[in-house]
Amino acid sequence: MTTEVLWWFFAVLIVGASLGVVAARSVIHSAIFLIGSLAGVGAMYVFLTVDFLALVQFLIYGGAVTVLILLALMLTRADVTGLPEKVNGPQAPFAVLVGAGLMAILIGVAVGTTWPGNVGDKALNIPIELISQKLFLDYGPPFVIASVLLLVALVGAIILARQEEGE
Amino acid sequence: MVPLDNYLVLSAIIFSIGVYGVLARRSAVLILMSVELMLNAVSLNFVAFAAYLDPNRVAGAIFAIFVITVAAAEVGLALAIVIRLFRNRATANVDEAASLKW
Repeated sequence: MTTEVLWWFFAVLIVGASLGVVAARSVIHSAIFLIGSLAGVGAMYVFLTVDFLALVQFLIYGGAVTVLILLALMLTRADVTGLPEKVNGPQAPFAVLVGAGLMAILIGVAVGTTWPGNVGDKALNIPIELISQKLFLDYGPPFVIASVLLLVALVGAIILARQEEGE
Repeated sequence: MVPLDNYLVLSAIIFSIGVYGVLARRSAVLILMSVELMLNAVSLNFVAFAAYLDPNRVAGAIFAIFVITVAAAEVGLALAIVIRLFRNRATANVDEAASLKW
């Protein structure tokens, strides 16, 4: 019972913060709403008994990614005039239509489908030992490829953002 | 316990909000934040399916870990591109970087 009340609290928090991300007038407010939304999803991982993933979510998304985004926001502030900038393009009403239509379709499919297995009653526990075994043994090659991807992205980001001579 | 459908509906709502943000926003950084929302919705879906339906229980969580890894790489690269764009054009709005548009 308590779990369900908490679940609904976090669900409302996530949806509200996500709406804040796309509706806020100021980009800084959007970034702060984004932290709320990502932390809420981390709480959802706790409800799903994947504690390790919740930890990763808080550290990488709630910490690193949002700090990176805030840094980029600071470096790309164009509104030195102080005038409120238009944050949405002229296509925004159509975007509402697309988003609402997609939401209707997705919810309809998700609720209408009968899932096989032990649906509906109980989330199975996912222990952290199992995750490490799978990640380092069964999913070893993808793990290595992901490391290479991170390295390449790191080098690429440095080269892209570097101040070149004569600029 | 909360049934699986709740997670799926929640994830669908977050994903649609992210789609709206990607389509409606002008600033590249705000579009990137909406993409983060969409990626989060997908990870939540993976983990929910793993916890409720997968007898091996763990594949969805592994997927979510890889999604987070790739998203981190993507954010680093995308923000580098945005900073480069801002340096060259003095704007981070995608509709003003339209040199290739006729």
